[in-house]
Amino acid sequence: MKVATDIGGTFTDLVAITETGDLILEKAHTTPPNFDQGVMDVLEKSGLDANSIDAFFHGTTTIINALTERKGAKTALITTKGFRDILELARGNRPDLFNLVFEKPEPFVPRYLRREVTERMSYKGDVITPLCEADIVKAVEYLKKEQVEAIAVCYINSYANEAHERQTVAKIKELWPEVYVCPSVDITKEWREYERTSTAVLNAYVMPVASSYINRLGQRLTDAGISGNRYIMQSNGGTTTFDQAKLTPINVVESGPVAGVFGASILGNLIGEPNIIAFDVGGTTAKCSLIDRGEVKVTTSYYIEKTERSAGYPIMAPVVDIVEIGNGGGSIAWIDEGGSLKVGPKSAGALPGPVAYGKGGMDPTTTDANLIAGRLSAKNFDMEVSLDQVRGALLEKVGSAFGIGAEEAAESIIRVADSNMNNALKLISVRRGYDPRDFAMVAFGGGGPMHGPTLAKELNIRKVIVPVAASVFSAWGMLMSDIRHDFIQTKILSFADAPMDTLNAMWREQMEEANALFAAEGIGPEQTMFRFIADMRYMGQEHTVQVSAPAYPWKEEDRSEILSRFHKTHEHFYTFSLPDTPAEIVNLHLVAYGQLTKPALQEIPAQAGDLSAARKETRRVFFSGDGWLDTPIYDRSKLGWGATAQGPLVVEEPTTVTVVCPGQTLSVDRYGNLIVETEVQ
Amino acid sequence: MAEQVKINPVTLDIVKDSLIAVSNEIFYAFAQTSMSPIIYETLDYASGIADADGRLLTQGNGVTGFIGMISPMICAVVDKYGKENLHPGDVYIINDPFMGGGTHMSDVGMVMPIFYKDELIAFAGNKAHWSDIGGMAPGSFSTDATNMFQEGMCFSGTKLVDRGQLVEPVWDLMRSNMRYPQISQGDMWGQISSLRTGEKRVSELCDKYGVDVVKGSMERLIAQGEAVARKRLKEMPKGTWEMDEYMDDDGHGNPVHLQVKVTITDDEFLADFTGSDPQVIGCVNSGATAAYAGVKVVFMSVVGPELAVNDGVFAPLRTICEPGSVLQANRPAATSCYYESMIYVIDLVWRALAPAFPESLGAGHLLSVCTVLMAGKHQDFGNDYLIIEPTVGGWGACRGHDGQVGQFCVGDGETYNVPVEMAETRYGIRVDEHSLNTDGAGAGEFRGGSGAVRTYRSMNDNQTFTASFGRNKWPVWGAAGGKDGSINYFQFMDADGTVSPPTGIVARRVMNKNDVVRMVTATGGGYGDPLKRPAEKVAMDAKNEYITVAQAEEDYGVLLDPETFAVLGVTEARKNAQ
Repeated sequence: MKVATDIGGTFTDLVAITETGDLILEKAHTTPPNFDQGVMDVLEKSGLDANSIDAFFHGTTTIINALTERKGAKTALITTKGFRDILELARGNRPDLFNLVFEKPEPFVPRYLRREVTERMSYKGDVITPLCEADIVKAVEYLKKEQVEAIAVCYINSYANEAHERQTVAKIKELWPEVYVCPSVDITKEWREYERTSTAVLNAYVMPVASSYINRLGQRLTDAGISGNRYIMQSNGGTTTFDQAKLTPINVVESGPVAGVFGASILGNLIGEPNIIAFDVGGTTAKCSLIDRGEVKVTTSYYIEKTERSAGYPIMAPVVDIVEIGNGGGSIAWIDEGGSLKVGPKSAGALPGPVAYGKGGMDPTTTDANLIAGRLSAKNFDMEVSLDQVRGALLEKVGSAFGIGAEEAAESIIRVADSNMNNALKLISVRRGYDPRDFAMVAFGGGGPMHGPTLAKELNIRKVIVPVAASVFSAWGMLMSDIRHDFIQTKILSFADAPMDTLNAMWREQMEEANALFAAEGIGPEQTMFRFIADMRYMGQEHTVQVSAPAYPWKEEDRSEILSRFHKTHEHFYTFSLPDTPAEIVNLHLVAYGQLTKPALQEIPAQAGDLSAARKETRRVFFSGDGWLDTPIYDRSKLGWGATAQGPLVVEEPTTVTVVCPGQTLSVDRYGNLIVETEVQ
Repeated sequence: MAEQVKINPVTLDIVKDSLIAVSNEIFYAFAQTSMSPIIYETLDYASGIADADGRLLTQGNGVTGFIGMISPMICAVVDKYGKENLHPGDVYIINDPFMGGGTHMSDVGMVMPIFYKDELIAFAGNKAHWSDIGGMAPGSFSTDATNMFQEGMCFSGTKLVDRGQLVEPVWDLMRSNMRYPQISQGDMWGQISSLRTGEKRVSELCDKYGVDVVKGSMERLIAQGEAVARKRLKEMPKGTWEMDEYMDDDGHGNPVHLQVKVTITDDEFLADFTGSDPQVIGCVNSGATAAYAGVKVVFMSVVGPELAVNDGVFAPLRTICEPGSVLQANRPAATSCYYESMIYVIDLVWRALAPAFPESLGAGHLLSVCTVLMAGKHQDFGNDYLIIEPTVGGWGACRGHDGQVGQFCVGDGETYNVPVEMAETRYGIRVDEHSLNTDGAGAGEFRGGSGAVRTYRSMNDNQTFTASFGRNKWPVWGAAGGKDGSINYFQFMDADGTVSPPTGIVARRVMNKNDVVRMVTATGGGYGDPLKRPAEKVAMDAKNEYITVAQAEEDYGVLLDPETFAVLGVTEARKNAQ
């Protein structure tokens, strides 16, 4: 049996699939700061037999929490002489343009813990100044005295030649075996010294936390008799082993959210929809990501704490490309200074939560609006709901500003929330050259199925899929994942005359690195699969496009094919290509998969007779564009394979509802997924 | 609106948000395809959407200096041709420093009317710094220019695209007069295609919501902007503040006197520069819009930096410059380094208002863009390269926190420095050092942020170096009892051992292999009495080597152990100050 546990802000979810394909779902409270407790709680609550678990997948917020709460280790940085302040200078950008008293993000390593070592590589990777061991010895002595716990090493041009970083790390380990140490090239061989330094520093900063968390969780799993393979979800949409995650914990930074996107790609492939827009609405945010022909998009331009007003901290590690906006069930509706209605990004969180929760929340949220709009039912809440109180809050905080009643205020909030989410969905689709008509939406999280069908109609998306276990879909995605490692090497080469031998040698080196890693993880050659991506651009440009390239080895006749794919990709994203302008290779990017066996999915029983047995009630529900309609409400657990019905309708399950608009058609597929056809041509 | 239909305000807000989203889209799309580092790293460009009367609705800015320059550019095109002579698919090119929205000729503006079913409903415009537009020097701007004809080709609202078709003769002429036509061609198409995206998106909004709703939402956007700005203006302190100062140099060794009188009343924010020097022979002159843009920057910072930029917000704002002055120069003045005087304008207004707005304005910063232009051939590839880049430096401290380090000046913004690893690959240089200038200037209860040091080693012979580092004579100002910061300068250390004296301005100085230029930028001004800085903070400053142990004693009155940085005691002066 395979088990996945995913730690979220409020709940730790468990999804398991048995040998026969049965799905087991469980939830327990998340238990900060000892997150492993929540994992053990949910395992115990599920009653699963420890001996039957042969693979354990885990998604965790430990790393991102340690970063955002500044609970990592006392960390030092070793740099090339002359470049001590790269981390503090950063890139000099000031997103908050007109704020003349802005504060830039404070470096994770203060100046006195940044030590210089004499050494220098050229941009070509030639040694200009040999590594000075005495400087390393001196730095280590100083840092020992300062009792640092972790050291990052990042040298100028190390992406072109890693030797000095490796030698430095070896020397540090020799002098001080207990300290955690991370060379930047362990994470990436991409150029841009500030970004690579920041990445190494943040990795070092969380190494001790990650080690102690993973060790503790591993021990407790062992104590509980769970002896199967253990994997942690990485930000690149694949997993890695517990041991590897201790070395490169920064690769785990977006552990949870990407699993849902990955799950959407798997589900899409299973049901013959390789083009997917994954749409996940939780308590505080809505996230979306586009999957093009089965491939989850990965970027290395990822930041933590970056906002419209702050430069944030770059992490140059592969992360699934997700657009996230502050619009979830708990997002607060408010009136701005100019008199416009806004929803989010401030959230009522779990406490006090929406007004409906009755825990002291006074500000109306999207959830409150959905309740008054009839899309949610008070009967479906865990607690007693005072509808009068909710109406009062809507009237006071929103209605009074426009001279409208509580119901109209609820409609307005839903429309604004939908518009915000619509703009985010456009950002990942239309604005990147994709036609939404070519895509199906997988809607999940507590709020995805509620807003998904309406948004699909707006955006001309043909079909919305609401998966089984939609509210714990991220954990489901983990069960379906493979081990994945990304290797990125910057090398600027004019593509027309780049020797194929040079390029193939680079691929070979990356594949050897991958195979060594897989061997350590117990992955055999028969499980291994490679994907080849070339980051290319026109000569003179800075930004690159990812070109999906032919497999190794590249032959001379592949050159024109790769070039034509580059022109096409550029035209796709930016509406034009420049066929007469020379192209450059910037990075070679190898994606290495260690394929794991996937659990089989179980089919659900066929629908017997009409849907009357599944019908719970009829109530008035608000639909954008159609107004208030008498709407039948169905119980998802009573719908069988093959069931169909015409919207308007609502399907309820314990943790989410699916709102199907007038004109849309609902059907249930053999696996129990709800399929909403939107009538788009 | 022909028919006064009551439109749901929430619908207007949704369309309004969509317009802002369109503006963001066309802003970012351009950087992605550009071939000029000054566009994709410095983000020295802006784009915006205006209504049919040219009133700015929303603007995406990479740098502050372009604030509100889209709208005058559009108006200049309308004035020249008349609305009735504009057609769907037209694009006009404009970089004339002495027309609406003019800066220097390197900044190339484009304007496109947006029609919906034959009705002119809006404009899209953008303005970007091109790597080269011809003229006497690579990069087209030079600190020794004395008239505009040395600074490249001038377009005074020329039709570049006619009903969707590129006007080939215009492009042909351009191509023959530029150093890097391939790069400029890329930037030109990037600008045009981003305008076309804007046109398409606005039409889509009209399809979806109806043209009346879209027009209504434009009105609402501007009305809301004005209402909020007027409300905040009423809450501001009222009075008159004056300030005057000399700019170091016009490029020919002459200091330039600037002065301002700012008057804030319930209804108006007025900046009057009457009395500033007449236009100069050097290239620090500016057309009429630059000073106005400079005032807008400080206005935004005190009225609310978070407000969306549109012409409604600027309704209470007025600027007076004398025609023929350095801030409103006449043709054919040189304007290459107009931005230096624009930033002096910002600094002047900032300094005048700082005592009255301690929440929004702190001590002075490095002030200058500290522009570097370097041209030559790459030592390994033999290709021509051109560096055009600003330099980071220190910002002033303000009430509540120390000054920031490693930031570009106020005229820049979402501007990125060029990574050392890229510079060494792309240009004929090696970077020997990039670090903080820990000169310990800017002492204060809150300490000024350190400047920066950047050292370039020439890897080839016959490379030329041009730079304009303003504030190279008079240091950055401290505030509220804080000490002054330092100055910007650079100096050459040639391979033969010759070391040149520090200077601030140079044009096309030849550098040969292994000649080195060391560029140092100013530390920001301090804020508040340094004797009031907590002793533990002073100790950490010394441990972090932002200041020396001697400075800890001299400026802050704190005695430190030079080994451990433990606080040993305080001076009499500090005791007396407590």
